[in-house]
Amino acid sequence: MRVKKLLREPLIHFLLLGAALFAVSGTLVKGTGSEPGKITVSQARIEHLATGFALTWLRAPTAEELEGLVRNYIREEIYYREAMAMGLDRDDTIIRRRLQQKLELVFQNMADLTQATDEELRVFLQDHPEKFRLERRFTFRQVFLSPEHHRESLAGDAADVLRQLKQTGESSDGSTPGDPSLLENQFADVEADEVAKQFGEKFASALNDLPLGEWQGPLESTYGVHLVFVDERAQRRTPTLEEVRDAVRREWSNARQLESTQKFYDGLLKRYTVIIEPAPPNTGDAKTSTAR
Amino acid sequence: MNIRLLRAAAPVFAIPGATLVSVLAVGLFATAVVAQDLNTGVGTLDRNSAEKVFPAKPLYSPYAGRKFPTRPFFGDTHLHTAASFDAGAFGARLGAREAYRFARGEEVMASSGQPATLSRPLDFLVVADHSDQMGFFPDLFAGKPELLADPTGKKWYDLIKSGKGAEAALDIIQSFSAGTIPKDLIYAPDTRAYKAAWQDNIAAAEQYNEPGRFTALIGYEWTSNTGGNNLHRNVIFRDNGDRASQVVPFTTLAPLGSDNPRELWKWMAAYEQKTGGSVLAIAHNGNLSNGLMFPIIESFTGKPVDKEYVDQRAKWERLYEATQTKGDGETHPFLSPNDEFANFERWDFGNLDGSVKKTKDMLEFEYARSALKNGLKLEKQLGTNPYKFGMVGSTDAHTGLAAVESDNFFGKTTPQEPSPERMTATFFDNPKTGVKVMDWQVSASGYAAVWAVENTRESLWDAMQRKETYATTGPRMVVRFFGGWDFDQADAQTRSPAMTGYGKGVPMGGSLSGAPAGKMPTFLVAALRDPIGANLDRIQIVKGWLDAKGDAQEQVYEVVWGGDRKPGADGKLPAVGNSVNVENAIWTNTIGAPELIAVWKDPKFDASQHAFYYARVIEIPTPRWTAYDAKRFGTKPLPGTPMIITHRAYTSPIWYTPGT
Repeated sequence: MRVKKLLREPLIHFLLLGAALFAVSGTLVKGTGSEPGKITVSQARIEHLATGFALTWLRAPTAEELEGLVRNYIREEIYYREAMAMGLDRDDTIIRRRLQQKLELVFQNMADLTQATDEELRVFLQDHPEKFRLERRFTFRQVFLSPEHHRESLAGDAADVLRQLKQTGESSDGSTPGDPSLLENQFADVEADEVAKQFGEKFASALNDLPLGEWQGPLESTYGVHLVFVDERAQRRTPTLEEVRDAVRREWSNARQLESTQKFYDGLLKRYTVIIEPAPPNTGDAKTSTAR
Repeated sequence: MNIRLLRAAAPVFAIPGATLVSVLAVGLFATAVVAQDLNTGVGTLDRNSAEKVFPAKPLYSPYAGRKFPTRPFFGDTHLHTAASFDAGAFGARLGAREAYRFARGEEVMASSGQPATLSRPLDFLVVADHSDQMGFFPDLFAGKPELLADPTGKKWYDLIKSGKGAEAALDIIQSFSAGTIPKDLIYAPDTRAYKAAWQDNIAAAEQYNEPGRFTALIGYEWTSNTGGNNLHRNVIFRDNGDRASQVVPFTTLAPLGSDNPRELWKWMAAYEQKTGGSVLAIAHNGNLSNGLMFPIIESFTGKPVDKEYVDQRAKWERLYEATQTKGDGETHPFLSPNDEFANFERWDFGNLDGSVKKTKDMLEFEYARSALKNGLKLEKQLGTNPYKFGMVGSTDAHTGLAAVESDNFFGKTTPQEPSPERMTATFFDNPKTGVKVMDWQVSASGYAAVWAVENTRESLWDAMQRKETYATTGPRMVVRFFGGWDFDQADAQTRSPAMTGYGKGVPMGGSLSGAPAGKMPTFLVAALRDPIGANLDRIQIVKGWLDAKGDAQEQVYEVVWGGDRKPGADGKLPAVGNSVNVENAIWTNTIGAPELIAVWKDPKFDASQHAFYYARVIEIPTPRWTAYDAKRFGTKPLPGTPMIITHRAYTSPIWYTPGT
């Protein structure tokens, strides 16, 4: 019987292990399976079921609940065995993909145990400064003028308001002149990205070039024009490892993970001889020649 | 947590036939030590008061004293990755880590092999994989002491530690194949530690959560789906991994889980009580529940919902996901015949798997607006409104990609990622019931907007809990909505509407009660279009109330709009027009307005009647995702495929309750 032959194939065995785990949330091997027609529910199995319950409800199951879990386990085990005996796991896309995922996850979990040294992290930061660069930050106030309200007089009105603001200078918090808007009039220590999210890219990049400490403008945003007072500006810079250690560690493991996942697959692939049958010569239409 | 059970007695079940003789006694469990300290009081409900503290007079520092949310955070509370078995079965390859990277604005390779990037980063993401099927897998290295005692184990361990995980894994697999794996290292569920995929999801969230920049909230989806009727809820944690990893998600299959939401609420209560953490739930897709999502008669018992049901539902289900890829859930033309915007991205064919066709009598118990109305009735009857929920939108994408921008839509499932075929392909087809859904019917929607003080797990969750949220069908428009007794027209002219709004009223999600004599509720409402998006057509306020006979009524009011339009005698505003060029998939902001603001008073207020009010913001028409597909792939749409969409936002309501 083909199924039996398959079951002797060691790699399949390993994979089936995963299948079993998937299908019954952790049935297996010891104490079950081996003897046909007999199911032994071991103490360890019962404890395992009880632990699952306790993790869900944060309390131990009552006797009745545990009995329910055991009954359910037995039912599941019987169906599992019968289904496996019938080969129902074969050619099932869901099971195949799930097993692939599980093997990947088991592998990735192993790979996750690798800890980067500080030196490795430092080198990674040096090699990929663009990933960790600290954005420009701004502290500024703004007064909004809506094109809808000012129409043709927008430029003149903006100049008037700017004159007025320059007179009050630093003491104006931007809350008096201008039109109503859902954009706040003061921003403290916000990143350029955040400014762009609210005002659009054009406004955010214009903010870079403004002199500090005086009312300027008008600057255009996606909504209208703004008069702006930049209090402070912190330049973009590459951080030290201490400032971004978590992020560097994350990116480092991610890069490592991608690399070793590929290596893992390549290593597995090497253990196989893969034969792809060519399409029969006479029926070389598009449908049958897709195998590569 | 250390669970030791059944050590004392060793009952052996001998099971001839089907009989199960249990010799277990309850007493065996009396000594089980479970969890940590009880209720620390952290996860209590109403936290909304702290947000509204204002200095009595302006402080010198312009930045001091501002404790209200200054901008909405946009995100997705409902994204599936390859860890969800159905997503995996559809071919999704991206896991939680890729999902976070994408949401943070990075380019990732979609499962279909094409690169994908958002127009701009989202602020937060909940990876909400299905709770069922999040199976256990062996934690090979959990039993480290034994492992290290064995020379082979030690070798593998050292290889892994030194970054040669691939080498170790191949060696392990080789040993399995050759049958040379050391006996002590063979893992069996009876003896070895197991890890749920859940733990891996938590680990990913911990890695990508960066307070202040990007929030990775921990969550999962409880997928109750008996008979194909969608009663799904997403469960969102306020907590970090230290608390969330003390539990495993609640599932839907007995005996461990249940398909009844009452059991989910018990699970939530147990989690809070045992860990001191906080969770809330968000239901979605009432439109696929065939009349079961917002019951008056509970489907599980066939009896009217009781006091316990309404109390528990109000307590745990703080938000409703009113729009997503499987259709919009605000209202339905049958329920709101006078609402010309009601017929929007409609999915009213049947239940989730199409096994039972929809009938009109189901609709009332499926849509947000009718549920809000029925909630008023239940409140009058039972003292609690079970359907007093706030609104969010989310994707429910099964691709690991929270990509629902109309010009950048990566579909609901992996086969629906961009391709020339997706405009004409079939999503599912049930010939028995005649329920057939095409891929073009999938909606590029939506996101959740959350008015949090800062971008952290705690702050976002607290805002969700107090319902200071709104749903958008995709565009990131900014919407403010405040209710109070004293807003007047001058408040619409103020330079900072938010300051006025919080100062004189309650924000979206809040409640008003006991109208002062002679007063009517007033509302300050404002919207700003998406900075890279389309202008706004109008803001409406939707009112629902119980009339003198106790019947629920609804009315949509036009409040403020772009351009010089006058409402007709029937109160209806003429359409804004259309600047969409479908063939080229473009539009212009030549109609509508970038920003709208107004104060509105309820002209028909009756202080003795329960009511709710929410704002609906309508964008000018823009190309639907199908128009971008037709343009980019040159695909000819099937007859009946809509090519234009009017995106929108729904705020959480503000409720009015008579009495004090």
